[in-house]
Amino acid sequence: MMLYTLTDVTQRYNQRTVLDIEHLEIEEGRIYSLLGPNGAGKSTLLNILGFLEAPTTGRLIFHGQPVESSRTAMLQLRRQVVLMDQHPIMFSTTACNNIEYGLKIRKMGKSSRQRVVDEVLETVGLRQFKFAAAHELSGGETQRLALARALALGPRVLLCDEPTASVDAENQAVISVLLQQINATRGTTIIFTTHDRLQAASLAQQTLVLENGRLAATTYENSYTCSLTLEKNSHLRCILHNKVEIPLAIRSSELPQPTFNRRIYIDPEQITLHRAANQQQFKQGVTGTIVLIMAEGGKIRVVVNIGVLMVVLMDRASYQQEQPAIGEKVLLLFEAATVTLLDTTTT
Amino acid sequence: MSFFLESLVSAVRLVRTLDPELLTIVRVSLTVSYLATICAAIVGIPAGFAIAYGNLPGKRALITILNTLLALPTVVIGLFVYTFLSRRGIFGPLDLLYTQEAMIIGQFLLIVPQITALTIAAVSRVDTRYRKTAQTLGANTWQTALVVLREGRFGIAAAVISAFGRVISEIGISMMLGGNIKGFTRTMTTAMALEYDKGSFILAVALGLVLMTLSLGMNILFNLIQGKNVR
Repeated sequence: MMLYTLTDVTQRYNQRTVLDIEHLEIEEGRIYSLLGPNGAGKSTLLNILGFLEAPTTGRLIFHGQPVESSRTAMLQLRRQVVLMDQHPIMFSTTACNNIEYGLKIRKMGKSSRQRVVDEVLETVGLRQFKFAAAHELSGGETQRLALARALALGPRVLLCDEPTASVDAENQAVISVLLQQINATRGTTIIFTTHDRLQAASLAQQTLVLENGRLAATTYENSYTCSLTLEKNSHLRCILHNKVEIPLAIRSSELPQPTFNRRIYIDPEQITLHRAANQQQFKQGVTGTIVLIMAEGGKIRVVVNIGVLMVVLMDRASYQQEQPAIGEKVLLLFEAATVTLLDTTTT
Repeated sequence: MSFFLESLVSAVRLVRTLDPELLTIVRVSLTVSYLATICAAIVGIPAGFAIAYGNLPGKRALITILNTLLALPTVVIGLFVYTFLSRRGIFGPLDLLYTQEAMIIGQFLLIVPQITALTIAAVSRVDTRYRKTAQTLGANTWQTALVVLREGRFGIAAAVISAFGRVISEIGISMMLGGNIKGFTRTMTTAMALEYDKGSFILAVALGLVLMTLSLGMNILFNLIQGKNVR
């Protein structure tokens, strides 16, 4: 069943469009990750999905019912969804009182509240901190307490804004496991934002990518801001971070707007990698140093530093043939036609 | 030096023996100041909260005016209220001049801007995430406002305490609107001024000691509250 359906949803602040979603459907009971660079509109989308703000335009359907922007309707919907902030803030009282807050609002009796508090504190492994001052907990513990505070309300949807961005590796693992557990045992739909593509891949069943407020049909990695310069023959030169030249198949006349700061995307599967020994035969391409190699499903992920980090997804046969090693200098080749100018601009 | 020490020793004796005149003056001072502070808190806290929390038009101008009023001299307020309460004033028939009520009105006007301005500052300092957190946990508009108010409680309490400190130690309003009537509107500060005029320092020093002790108590309370806020 579709939990959310967004159609032509936009959000504008001071005439600036920060979110523009043509169509988005979110299925109940699944885990979604939301990837995108800073300012892509991830937090705005979470606020809309959490009914904390109404979109400027567009249609939002929640659980089959169109969402009204009246205060009462939003409040009723908000009580089914909890948004966990990237840096959650605790009320200046005990951990127990923090968890009880939402339950008191829902007029739950004291004994039931205590039972729920004990249960969720046990789930997140913070039972010993029940009567501790919430402000005195560490960053990771605060994040887990925020999760407990959200869980206590038994929300239909849990929205998490970068839940592991500001915690140590140990707490990152704990939170990731907890999110999976909550989804599996309670059927809670979870939507979380992240910059970590690996976390998104390992935790989410579906990944959504936002680029300048729009849903992008890319995998987020290999998306770069670049500057375009016009050459005499109306060809465009694409320079990445003032360092690397990327071949482009597009001509300046084909650009919808005369803007010369654009974002490009290079499909990691369309890039071929060649070791330094074989480089003589190629005149074009970009060179870099391998910084990471890891297996990912049936593919091998190779991250190459070419001035910026570029991801190459190799099939096993190509990997066996080239046998690249970390620290090795390699050549990356890709057709100009595989470089996509994203439908977004930053002027 | 010996004159000062003699006055000080006599003043301490006066305090220790709980001199009835001294006690009456202290009681009048505390009653007037407490009532003025309570009334000002009842008006100033909600006003300050509404200005800081809401999106009122002309908010900045309002804050500027309030901040300007903080520097208003007590004699100006005394004069202003006097024009209303004197026999020729519009509230003359109420016969309030030279009463404790008149002093309370004057002191109330003195500290309402202070409590309002400091409440605005306290509420503005409350992290905006509290509002969002309360909302996402299901709070309605009033419940959300209450969370913000609760998180700003230490700053607001400090505002009230500092306002009390201001009125207990002021003299202009008490003198102009109270008239320094013995046993009725004579406060610690007006009594001290009178004793000074008479060249009789013992009661003045004794009252000074009480006032300083009260100020010290207020400051200790203020620091405790501030400290709690920091934690």
